[in-house]
Amino acid sequence: MFKKVLIANRGEIAVRIIRACRELGIHTVAVYSTADKNALHAQIADEAVCIGPAPSKDSYLNMRAIISACEITGADAIHPGFGFLSENPSFARMCEKCGITFIGPRAQSIEMLGDKAQAKETMKEAGVPVIMGSDGAISNIHAAHTLANDLGYPVLVKASAGGGGRGIRIVKSDDELEAQMTAAKQEALACFGNDEVYIEKFIENPKHIEIQILADNYGDVIYLGERDCSMQRRNQKVLEEAPSPAPFMTEELRERMGKAACTAAKVCGYRNAGTIEFLVDKNGNFYFMEMNTRIQVEHPITEAVTGIDLVKQQLLIAAGERLSIKQEDVKLTGHAIECRINAENPLLDFRPSPGKIKSLFIPGGFGIRVDTAVYQGYEISPYYDSMIGKLITYGRTREEAIAKMTWALSEFIVEGVSTNVDFQLKLIRRPEFLAGDYDNGFLNRTDILEDERSKN
Amino acid sequence: MLEDLFSVVKERFNGEKPLDEKTEKTEKTKKTDIPKGLLFKCPRCRNVTFEEDFQKNGKVCPHCNYHSRLTARERLDITVDKGSFEEFDKDMISKNPIDFPGYEEKQQALREKTGLKDAVLTGTALIRGEKIVIIVMDSNFMMASMGSVVGEKITRAIEYATANRLPVIAFTASGGARMQEGIVSLMQMAKTSGAVARHNEAGLLYIAVMTDPTTGGVTASFASLGDIIIAEPKVLIGFAGRRVIEGTIRQKLPDDFQSAEFMLENGFVDMIVERKKMRRVIAHLLKLHKQPEEVTGNE
Repeated sequence: MFKKVLIANRGEIAVRIIRACRELGIHTVAVYSTADKNALHAQIADEAVCIGPAPSKDSYLNMRAIISACEITGADAIHPGFGFLSENPSFARMCEKCGITFIGPRAQSIEMLGDKAQAKETMKEAGVPVIMGSDGAISNIHAAHTLANDLGYPVLVKASAGGGGRGIRIVKSDDELEAQMTAAKQEALACFGNDEVYIEKFIENPKHIEIQILADNYGDVIYLGERDCSMQRRNQKVLEEAPSPAPFMTEELRERMGKAACTAAKVCGYRNAGTIEFLVDKNGNFYFMEMNTRIQVEHPITEAVTGIDLVKQQLLIAAGERLSIKQEDVKLTGHAIECRINAENPLLDFRPSPGKIKSLFIPGGFGIRVDTAVYQGYEISPYYDSMIGKLITYGRTREEAIAKMTWALSEFIVEGVSTNVDFQLKLIRRPEFLAGDYDNGFLNRTDILEDERSKN
Repeated sequence: MLEDLFSVVKERFNGEKPLDEKTEKTEKTKKTDIPKGLLFKCPRCRNVTFEEDFQKNGKVCPHCNYHSRLTARERLDITVDKGSFEEFDKDMISKNPIDFPGYEEKQQALREKTGLKDAVLTGTALIRGEKIVIIVMDSNFMMASMGSVVGEKITRAIEYATANRLPVIAFTASGGARMQEGIVSLMQMAKTSGAVARHNEAGLLYIAVMTDPTTGGVTASFASLGDIIIAEPKVLIGFAGRRVIEGTIRQKLPDDFQSAEFMLENGFVDMIVERKKMRRVIAHLLKLHKQPEEVTGNE
């Protein structure tokens, strides 16, 4: 096992990792920017090293400074958390070359899975279902017509270099294909400087359901059930739950998705914790979207329903231990929900609301978990994301988890900054949520705060 | 107050055997081993870049745009049409005219290390189909100092260009005259300058590209005689070194003294061209200065 681990991150995930290290008797090194001198992770780690000024590119993305911090403190491994350098193959490779264990997959896996086209191709070959479409960029309009007719309308025209929902067009019929393709190309060129587009089958009202996997260094892979992350606002997850409340979700589908996820991990020689994201249509047909090669924000809900500490598992796997859990040991019990609590103003288009937390009360009780790095008097910096924390509730049933969440949100007091607590409360009281009947587009179609707005 | 808020946490956790902060911090569990060649430290701005990224960027510092030194072969690879370089005087090597101790051994060692016979490669090549005579100096061989071989190869290359009515492109880099050859090396300044003059009288184009570092007798001869003088960004261009000048004139020199940008401002350089645009710019200049076929053909 490692003696000392450096955590190349900040906020609640850095704190989460430090706690797991404490339990395992591992010394911890925090790194922090000048803006984070008083941040919790820098305060509670055994050692803390300043790695640069506030902007992320000079500190939490500064590979050289982080490697230097590792060298100075003699840490033997780096946990990258999520975001920042966690999915940067150059950083993973650099750690490998310097003899530092990168707690995550190997650089080549990150690289391969980071290239969307290559990842999709690999999955297709391995028999993992992918969304059918053009193999790579398409420019010939005749070929586009033929392909679109084969796939069946509606189809999506997407920018090869795209992301964040930009450069995407829905085409409903043959006669609008050419115009939409031209428009998509122009938008792609303007946004990404590359006018390559591809075509794929449009999945109507899909759900985002992802499978958590753990893979050790010896080829053993297990899956730990799914997380339903369909509650998204502009591609940002707002609330997640495990298991999925979707009417089509069955034990049989879960097993098929889990096995597909394990296959996906195996074909790329994957190691450590990872998540395979699937788009699922209303009939329960699932398609590989991408693989996240790191721990995820919403990992606590999987921990709640499986009883497995994912961060501890990451440390054990990276230290070279074999998975002690077999697939048949993984039992899903109860239901967990996570609400992301952010310092933002939902009435002002969710604009971030940095500032000093004047008063704070964090709810607690049986089945309530709050992962956070804030405390009373803490100043939320404008330099980083606006997350205050994650509120997770766990109950024997979904109803129980929702009941706990309703009360816990009501008790959550944050003064000094605006938060989305009331928004979350309204959201979980919506009939669509209570019925478990929502898809990725729900929050984009529905104005949760309509009544609030009309009041003013 | 905030700084102390959580100090109690560690104290409590560490309990009765408080961790000695000092032993804790010096106790390295494992030596981090940063391998050689992983990082490039820029000699200008002192920032560090991954060697891999630095190489991908054409050996240009991504922080300050310093155009670091290339070997003559690397320079040819990014400048001329693939496979078009035909070398002159491949095996010309130097004698030891003033019996300088250790000179032969030093040259021999460098020949093995660099694969070069001396500090310059000359020959003909094509740039986007245009035939030229090209001269490329390599600072890895005795800092590309100019001795009899360097001077002779350059002179012969320019004379070939004059005889065959070809433009000359010279990538200069040099620490100056080669002191191991004494007065013989100083004579190369006049010899190369004479060759450039005759090339010029024939109405032919000569482009000098100053790369890091272009100094001493090379600056004071053929490098500064280009019809067009180009420099790469941030490179060092000068005659005597900064400390020598400061000592002589007893004045502090400006910080950017002897930089390509300073030389441009003061009229010693015509333009500064980034490495990634160099081939395009030279090709364009060659096209603009091309002599009409009928004039040269029917004489």
